[in-house]
Amino acid sequence: MSFDLWTLGFQAVNVLVLVWLLHRFFWTPIAGLIADRQAKASTLLDEAAAERAEANAALSEIEATRTGLAEERNAMLAAARKDAECVRDALLEAAKAEVETLNDTAKAARVRAAEALKAKAIADARGLALSIAGKLVARLDATATEAAFLGWLRQGIAGLSEVDRKALAISDLEVVSAAEADPAAQDRIAAAIASALGTPVPLIFRTDPALIAGLELHGSHFTMRNSWRADLARIAGALGDKDALPDGP
Amino acid sequence: MDSPLQSLPLFMVGPVPIMPAVVVTWAIMAALVLGAALLTRRLTMVPSKAQGLAELLVDTVDSQIRDVTGAAPAPYRAFIGTLFVFILSANWSSLIPGVTPPTGTMETPAALAALVFLSIIGFGVREGGVRGFLRGFALPNPAMIPLNILESVTRSFSMFVRLFGNVMSGVFVIAIVGSLAALLVPIPLMALDLLTGAVQAYIFAVLSMVFITSAVEKGEPQLKEA
Repeated sequence: MSFDLWTLGFQAVNVLVLVWLLHRFFWTPIAGLIADRQAKASTLLDEAAAERAEANAALSEIEATRTGLAEERNAMLAAARKDAECVRDALLEAAKAEVETLNDTAKAARVRAAEALKAKAIADARGLALSIAGKLVARLDATATEAAFLGWLRQGIAGLSEVDRKALAISDLEVVSAAEADPAAQDRIAAAIASALGTPVPLIFRTDPALIAGLELHGSHFTMRNSWRADLARIAGALGDKDALPDGP
Repeated sequence: MDSPLQSLPLFMVGPVPIMPAVVVTWAIMAALVLGAALLTRRLTMVPSKAQGLAELLVDTVDSQIRDVTGAAPAPYRAFIGTLFVFILSANWSSLIPGVTPPTGTMETPAALAALVFLSIIGFGVREGGVRGFLRGFALPNPAMIPLNILESVTRSFSMFVRLFGNVMSGVFVIAIVGSLAALLVPIPLMALDLLTGAVQAYIFAVLSMVFITSAVEKGEPQLKEA
């Protein structure tokens, strides 16, 4: 067993030198690298935290903006709804007015159509009455019919006042008959009228088939109705339908 | 068979004998420094496997120092870490055929224990001053000064003896078994020797840290009182 002091000294120095060399080439660089990495990691974490805070702030801002947008949208929707209601009310009013106008127009059109139908029915009735009356007259004796109407004409003239008869006697008189009067008939008529007026008067004879049957006396300011047409008109007037058989020419 | 407790110089430099332990230590130093230089030449933020292993070693040493002292590990890292790495490398050098680990001779553990003894003084004086450090010997009362001085010597001596005894015994046992049994028989003992070597390196480093911390803490109250 031996203990060499030289070796003790060598080993002590060797270990000290090794401590210094490893301190320089190993421990310090590695520890520095670890510290740098930790610092960078800490910095990255801080930056990440800051970015996260910024992101949260941006998110909050976006949320606020979104809330504002929602409120603005609600306001715009409310305004649009209000405008739409105003427009709808206006359209409803216009439509109502138009419907009323259309109703009035349709009512007037219905009235006009009814009146037209009524007028047509009246005209048809009048034509039918004339046709019936004409056929009835055709079945009667023409001479007897003329005599009857001539008698009624004479009675009518006799029923006038003296002043009217004198006025008739000096005016131009026109005798209107339903059928053309032959000269003999004209003489009978002239004699009957002269007898009724008390004096002979010049007469003009005219034929109007619309009278159906009868004799009428027309002056410049005087007309004496004495025909079936006039009788039918009086009957219609009595029935309250003055337009049923309008006056002839 | 020569005694394992006795070593002969490989060569002489004048009157100075160069023992095998010194040469093996130089080889270990060269390998460690060269490896460290190559490793730290291209350090990157994204570590390679080797760099990751080195960072794990540094981080482990730092955490051990921090756990023991409660202080920042930077002032103690190089000394404690180098002690651990060197003792581990020296112990495991016995795996190389024909190499006797430097820690298997008395001079190397003695030198390491002497360095620890001096480092206790150095760190104690640096933290608490000379008076603070010396007053640490008078705690808890001046009557304990002789015992504290004796303790400071004997605990370093115990570290020397523990390291030397464990490593030397391992070498001794492997040599005896290897001379008596077949070639493969010592392998389990060599594996056990690896474990023993790692444990002894760890114990030596941690005890060194504990003793240094004790000296530093003893000096701190003196500073506060001052």
